[in-house]
Amino acid sequence: MIARAPRNLSALLVLGIPLLWIVVFMLLPYGIIVTYSFWLKSYPTFKPAFQFGNYLTLLTDVQYLQVLGRTLKISILVSILSLGLAYPFAWWLVFRCRSQALRTWAYMAVIAPLWVSYLLRAYIWKTILGTEGILNSFLMSTGLISEPSSLFLYNQFAMVVTLTYIFIPFMVMPIYTALERIPLNLAEASADLGMGPVQTFLKVTLPLSTPGIAAGFTLTFCLSFGDFIAPFLVGGPDGNLIASVIQTQFGAALNWPLGSALSIVMLIIVLAIVSLSDRLEATAHTGAA
Amino acid sequence: MKKTLTAMLTLGLAAGPALAEGTVNVLTWEGYADPSFITKFEEESGCKVSATYVGSNDDFAPKLLGGGGIYDLITPSIDTTALMIDLGLVEPLDTAAITGWNDIYPKFLSQEGIQRDGAYYGMPYVWGAIAFMYLDSAFPTPPTSIADLWNPELKGKISLWDDKSSIYVAARKNGDMDIYNLTDEQIEKAKAALVEQKPLVRKYWATAGELVDLYKAGEVVISNTWAGYQSGLLKAEGVKVTEFIPKEGAEGWMDSWMVVKDTPNKECAYKFLNMQLSELGQCGVANVNGYSVANAAAAKACMPAEQYAALHQDDPNYLDSLQVWQALGDRFEAYTNAWNAVKAQ
Repeated sequence: MIARAPRNLSALLVLGIPLLWIVVFMLLPYGIIVTYSFWLKSYPTFKPAFQFGNYLTLLTDVQYLQVLGRTLKISILVSILSLGLAYPFAWWLVFRCRSQALRTWAYMAVIAPLWVSYLLRAYIWKTILGTEGILNSFLMSTGLISEPSSLFLYNQFAMVVTLTYIFIPFMVMPIYTALERIPLNLAEASADLGMGPVQTFLKVTLPLSTPGIAAGFTLTFCLSFGDFIAPFLVGGPDGNLIASVIQTQFGAALNWPLGSALSIVMLIIVLAIVSLSDRLEATAHTGAA
Repeated sequence: MKKTLTAMLTLGLAAGPALAEGTVNVLTWEGYADPSFITKFEEESGCKVSATYVGSNDDFAPKLLGGGGIYDLITPSIDTTALMIDLGLVEPLDTAAITGWNDIYPKFLSQEGIQRDGAYYGMPYVWGAIAFMYLDSAFPTPPTSIADLWNPELKGKISLWDDKSSIYVAARKNGDMDIYNLTDEQIEKAKAALVEQKPLVRKYWATAGELVDLYKAGEVVISNTWAGYQSGLLKAEGVKVTEFIPKEGAEGWMDSWMVVKDTPNKECAYKFLNMQLSELGQCGVANVNGYSVANAAAAKACMPAEQYAALHQDDPNYLDSLQVWQALGDRFEAYTNAWNAVKAQ
């Protein structure tokens, strides 16, 4: 009896702390947001109610679907671009880079920017892409263009470039980890069985790295999807993203119910992507087994 | 950037006198608690000033609603003061405890937005115009009309304030001059004009610093502006710009100090109000931000004649020509929704 009390206590601590964490920092805030999303806007603030008007507004007022569509487009572009750049890079690091020191340095070169302030990194792209920026000066000095172009900054292109740069480490890390786990003898076995390098890549390496791709895609997509700094700094008049709209609803419009409904819709989209990616990873694992 | 700057400034202020007897926490615009005149106040009054800065009038309500008890004083503009009263966030002022109250321009004391049931809730502080501004080198003939912001030849060189104020601008361009009482139809027309203008816009500016950067980097040549402020910053950087009031007129604004309900630091808060309305505060803010001030007597006493004239302190007609912002009440949503719809496209 005396010996059991401390054990109960430690069990309580072990389970209790994470449980308390989940309740206080996840369930409670989400619960509040869900509740607000059914409330009614009423000058000067809003009043408790249970109605689906806010969700209806999101579906019927074309401005919200427009912004949602644009945000999806930008996030998918960022994820695809990141994948296109990150995969060959990670593959080269794992399978072709002979020097351990070079590998460490190259890997750190991608990861290191994560320690620099996000805001600073986004801001730097303004000075690169601007009309009198570094890119324009370079292109003019090479003679490719005769006068500065305003096509690089304050548009969707600038947002995709900036977001790709900022979130690409989240694509490199899981892919690198996935590739590193693939035993080298699998490729040798594949070669022994008469497969060429391309076939080996398509039939062995790529399927085995799918979990890394799925994880990287999910991370970059979700991070871009919720971003509102890039549109603010490098986006143009056509660069409004969903997170900025939510911010406006909680700030300028003082319409917390509508902002909450938007947040819930966003949460559902993100959760759908995450569970899809989970399923993909699970299939990849069973496929491998 | 802005946040970092704010944090640095707050730290700077917090590192003030060590023997402070009280504190006063203000939620305000950049420059309204500038060390150039606040340090002197801190030394004289023994009240430590801790300032947090807002980027927009829309920041006051969410900041105070989302867990109050931090701020003692706020400075919303005249279109937001009524909302603060409606939300029950501020308390009536004891005007007898404020020296210089009767020297405030009558036009400001008569504003409805700062009064309720015979009591004053706001102390007029500074005012100005939402003027327009252009880069000298880009205009051989100076622009005179709002329509110049719709000129296709300036494609990609135009900027507009990211605010419901853009609806006021577009409405005046359409000839709808009663900008604070627009009908749904007129708002719809203003929205259409802004959508038409959108391909010409380089960037909607959100903060003063952003607009300055846009001119400095050669991105835009014409925009609206907070008269006196950004043009002053640009001139200091050697960028030649000129402000103008278009023939369609301009909006006017006025910021007032309001006391947050049930503040525990009432004594320091009133010392602070008195200082802000005195020569120290009035000329202090005019020198930092380039805004005109509300206390006529203080302005006359502490400003050199040139500055006094440049800030239109002696020119009641200028003030009367401005359409001073008004609270939109329950029409607020129609305006912001229209502007959001423009941005969503």
